[in-house]
Amino acid sequence: MPQSNLSANRVLDLLPQKPSRAALEEAIFRSKAELASWEADTLSLEVTPDRLDLLSEGGLGLYLQGALGLRSGPVPPASTPAPLENPRAVVDASVRPLRPYFAGAILSAPAGVALDAGLLAEAIRFQELLHATFGWDRRAASLGLYPLERLRAPIRYALEPMANVRFVPLDGAGEVGADRFFQEHPLARRYAPLGRTGDHCLTLRDSDQQILSLPPVLNSRTAGEARIGDRELLLESTGTREARVAESVGLLLLPFVARGWSVRPLPVEYPERVDSGVSWISARSMSLSMATLRDIGGQVFGAADIEGWLAQARLGVAATEDGWQVEVPPWRPDLQTPVDLAEEVLLARGIDPQEALLPPSSTRGQRTPEGRFRRKVRELLRGLGYVELRTPALVAQRYATLLGRGEAIAVTNPVSEMYSRMRDQLQLSLVGVLERNVRHAYPQRFADVGPVVVLDRTAESGGRTRWHAGAVIAHEGAGFADAAALVDYVAGAFGALGVRAPVEFPGTIAGRGARLQIAGDRVAEMGEFSPALLSALRVPVPVAWAEIDLTALWPLVSREETP
Amino acid sequence: MPNEEEATPPDRTPTLTLSDPERKVLEALQAAPDVLQEETIVAERTNLAPDAARGSLERLRSKRLAIVEEESWTERSLTRRGQEARGHGLPERRFLAALERRGGTMTTEELGTEGLSGEEQAAAIGYLRRHGYLAEGIPFRWAASHPPIASELPEERLLELVATGAPEIDSALFDQLLRRGLVGAERHRLRRWLPSPEGRSLLLPVPGQPLVGALTSALLASGDWAQVSFRPYDVRAQAPYIQGARPHPYLAWLEEVEEILIGLGFEEAEGPLLETEFWNSDVLYMPQEHPARSVHDMFYADVPPGAALPEPLLDRVAAAHEGRPMPGESLPISPGWRAAYARDQARRPVLRSQTTAVSARFLARQPEPPFRVFCIGRNFRPDAVDVRHHIEFDQCEGILGSEGVTLRHLVGVFQSFAEALGIRELKIRPSYFPFTEPSIEGHVRHPQLGWMEVFPGGLLRPEVLRPLGIRVPVAAWGIGITRLALVSLGFNDIRDLFLDDHERLSGRPG
Repeated sequence: MPQSNLSANRVLDLLPQKPSRAALEEAIFRSKAELASWEADTLSLEVTPDRLDLLSEGGLGLYLQGALGLRSGPVPPASTPAPLENPRAVVDASVRPLRPYFAGAILSAPAGVALDAGLLAEAIRFQELLHATFGWDRRAASLGLYPLERLRAPIRYALEPMANVRFVPLDGAGEVGADRFFQEHPLARRYAPLGRTGDHCLTLRDSDQQILSLPPVLNSRTAGEARIGDRELLLESTGTREARVAESVGLLLLPFVARGWSVRPLPVEYPERVDSGVSWISARSMSLSMATLRDIGGQVFGAADIEGWLAQARLGVAATEDGWQVEVPPWRPDLQTPVDLAEEVLLARGIDPQEALLPPSSTRGQRTPEGRFRRKVRELLRGLGYVELRTPALVAQRYATLLGRGEAIAVTNPVSEMYSRMRDQLQLSLVGVLERNVRHAYPQRFADVGPVVVLDRTAESGGRTRWHAGAVIAHEGAGFADAAALVDYVAGAFGALGVRAPVEFPGTIAGRGARLQIAGDRVAEMGEFSPALLSALRVPVPVAWAEIDLTALWPLVSREETP
Repeated sequence: MPNEEEATPPDRTPTLTLSDPERKVLEALQAAPDVLQEETIVAERTNLAPDAARGSLERLRSKRLAIVEEESWTERSLTRRGQEARGHGLPERRFLAALERRGGTMTTEELGTEGLSGEEQAAAIGYLRRHGYLAEGIPFRWAASHPPIASELPEERLLELVATGAPEIDSALFDQLLRRGLVGAERHRLRRWLPSPEGRSLLLPVPGQPLVGALTSALLASGDWAQVSFRPYDVRAQAPYIQGARPHPYLAWLEEVEEILIGLGFEEAEGPLLETEFWNSDVLYMPQEHPARSVHDMFYADVPPGAALPEPLLDRVAAAHEGRPMPGESLPISPGWRAAYARDQARRPVLRSQTTAVSARFLARQPEPPFRVFCIGRNFRPDAVDVRHHIEFDQCEGILGSEGVTLRHLVGVFQSFAEALGIRELKIRPSYFPFTEPSIEGHVRHPQLGWMEVFPGGLLRPEVLRPLGIRVPVAAWGIGITRLALVSLGFNDIRDLFLDDHERLSGRPG
C-alpha cells in the first residue's frame, strides 16, 4: 500500500479545533488510511491505492474536518481572482508518439500570502508520491510546478533535437547539454525511455525559450524552480494516460486548495483542438439513487442522514427526484460511478457488525467430487505409513535437470534458481525433500498429493493443472516392487486395474521403470532412482518412486469413489 | 523337530538368553517369589557353588530378572587391651589415682612403680595434659586450676557402652579409642534376592527342550511348537522404529477451515495454477497497466501459445476496461480505465497471483443463483523468501451470489466465520480492491494477539459482474489464511507451512 510520512502539525493546522489524539486516531481508522505510527510531528500513514489524497496534509486535513464534524460540504470555492491575462499551453504534434497528453492549472495565493517553506515541502513530497504511485513511476503521468511570475506565456510542450537543448538542472550547478544530461544524471538515465527517443527529447519552454523542464525527468533551476515567496504557480502534468494526466493535476491541487489558494484553468492548444482546461480543476456532477444505496448497504436511510454523510465526505449534494446530484472535487478520482458514491456514504456512516445479516438464501456446502477423491487417496497413503507433505509447486531448475524433466514450465522472471520451474511431476519436489532429509534415519516414506502443470496447447494458458499423488520409499531394501505395489494398491482401492509396461525414465535405473495404463490412459509411473541421481542428492539408500496422475485416474474410478 | 538355527527369529528383537546355572537360580527364586533369599540359601537350593550362585544372581540382575536387597551393619567390640582397661582402669585413670594418692606430686621414678607400661604412661600423660589436669614439667603435679576429677571419664563410659552393645555411641570418641587399640569395628553385609516382576513371570524352558527364536508357520502346521521352548526376548531392548503417518499440520488445519466453510453452505471450487492475464486480472477489472501486474508482482511463464480466449467474453471485458458500451448495449458500465485494452496482453500466461481468478471462472459459467463458493488455493508472487514472505502462498476466498445480497450479508459471513474460530469481536473498516466496491476489511480481536486484519471483502463491481453475465449482486470475501495458520499452528516462519522434515512430521521421538 502507498505510504508516506506527513507533518502532524500541518494537518492539525487545518482543523478549527484541536481534537484529542484518540478521536483523531479513531477517525483515521474509519478512513482508507492506516496510521502506522505517530511520533512528534511525524504521522506515518498507509492508504489504499484509491485514496492517495489522504497522503497529503491538505487531503487528510479536509477529510478530518468532515469526519470530526468540524466542517462539512464541499471545500469553499476559491474567490475568483481579478481577471488576469490567462496564460496558455501549446502542445506540439511531435510529442504524440512518445508522451502525448498534457494538462495543467494556474494556482494563485490568497491575498497577503505567498508560497512558504512548509507548503512547498508538502507539495514536492506529494508530487513525488504521485509520480511513484498514481503516475506509475512517471510513465502514466508526471507533474511539475513552476513560478508563473518568472515565465512568459504561452508555454510550449514539444519534442526537439537534444543538440538544441541546454539548461541548468534543478539540482545542478551549471548549464549542461541534453546529451550529457541523459548520459550522466541518474534521474535522466532512469527515465530516459519516457522522455527521449533517439536524439530528441521532450521539453517544456516558455515563449522566451527558457527551458522549464525536460518532462518527465527534471525541472530547470532557472525558469523551472518554484520558490518561497512565489504567489502564482503553473502546475502541469504530462503522460501517456490521458485520464491519469488530468486526474494527477486535480490531486496536486489539494495542498494548495486546502490552504485557500485559488485555481484557474490553463487552456491547452493541441494541433487540432483547444481544451479549455476547466474540466481538470472543476467538480464533476454525478448522480446517486436511493435504490443503489439500498441495494448495496442493505437498508434504507433517511434522506437528511444521507445528505449529511455526503457533506461529511466533503462532497456537494443536491436532492433530485429519486436521489441526489453529487459534486465531486477533482482530487477524488476514485469516485467515478454511483457504486463509488454509495461506498462513500456507507463509510462516512460507518459499518456496524451488529447489523450483519445471514445470507438471504440457503445453499448446501460441499467439496468437489474430485477433491473428495484426492482426500481419500491422501488417507490411503497415510494409512500405509507415508509421511504426508505439502511441497511448493515451484521447484529448482537443478531438480528438473537431474530428473530430465526439460518440459517442466520455466518461469521467465524467477526470483531464484530454487523456484524457477513449475513442476510437471511431484517427483521434482520429492527429490528435494529426500535431499533435505539425508541427516535423518531411514526408512523414510514420503507422499504428496498436489497440483502440477503440464504443457497443453488446448488450454488457454498453454498449460493444464493436474493433480498427482507422488511417493518415495527410501530404505536399505527399497526397490521397484515397493513402488509397483503402492500404485497397484491405490488404483486397486478404487477398483481400477491396469497394465504395467516397461519405460525408460531419466534418473531411473534402466530396466526398472514402468508406466501403468488403464483403458489406454497413462495413469501412473514408477521406478527405482538411479545411483547417479541418489549420489547427486547424497541419499545413502535405494529409493523407489511412484507418481499417480489422479486427474487421469478420477474419470476411470469416479463411480467407484469409495475404496 | 526344528533345530535352533532354523528357528532363528527373522526380526531384530534382541533375544534373552539364560545359561543353565542362571535358569536354575531363577527357578529357585521363582519357587518362593516373595521371600528374600540369601545367597547361601540359593546356593544350597541349586546345588551350585556359592561363587557360581552369586555370579548367576548378578547376571540375572543385569538382565533385569532379579532384584537384590543389601543389608549392611557394623559390629563394635572391645579389644583385649580394651577389656583389660575396662577391668583395671584406663591408664589416665590409674595415673590420676596414683597422683592423688601421692599428695599431688609424683616423680618419674615413682610413676615407674605404678604398673603402667611406657606406652600407657605416654598415653596417660598426653591425655591428662590435653584435658588440663596435669601441669607441664617434672615431677608430675596438678595443674593450677585443673577440672574436678570426674568419677567416670567419657572414655570409660564409651568402653562400657561398647562392652554392653549399646546401639548409639559417640562415633568421634569411638574413633579415638579405635586409634588407641581399645575398641574394634567389623562391617557385615547381607545380600538377599527376589525375582523381579519380569523374572517372576518369565516362562522358563522345559529342561531338555530346545530353545527356538521365532514361532513359524512350519512350527504351527507341524504341531512341533508343543515340543519346543521359545527363547525369551529382552523386552526392554530398543524397539525398531515405526514411522508415523500423521496428517501434515498445515493440510490438517486447512481441512478444518474447509469444514467451517462447508458448514456455512459454501461449495468448493478449483482453478488452474497457470492462468492467462485475462482470467487472473482482466476479468477482475484490474487495469492492464497497473503496477501490480508488472514482473515485480507476477510470475510470467515461458509456454507456447495455448487455445484462444472466449471471444464474446473478451469483447465484453475489453468494453468494460475501455469504458465503452458492451456489444448489444447502448451505455457503458462506467468510464472504465479510459485506455485501450490490449488483447495480446490478455493472452499472456502467468502463474496465478490471486484465487479470485477461480471465482471469476466460476462466475463465467453463469451459475444459477443462489450460490456460495469458496476456494483455498496456491498463488505465486515474486518475493524474497524469508520468515514472513514466500513466493508461494495460499489464499482462501469465496463469493456469495443471490438476489438481495448486500454488504450486511458479507459482514454476516465474516461474523459466522469468526465465531466458528471462537472469535467474538469484529470491527469493520474501509479498504480497497480493484474488483469490489464497496471494499471493506474485517478486524477481529484474537485472544492473544489483539486486533488483526483477517477478512478483506466487498461487493463485486458492475465492471466485473456485467461482462460475466451475472445479474445478481455478488459479495466476495477473503480470509488472511496464512497469518491465521501461523498463529493457529504456533509457527513463526511461513516456510514451516511447507514443513518437510522427516522427524518433525513423523513424530519420531528424540
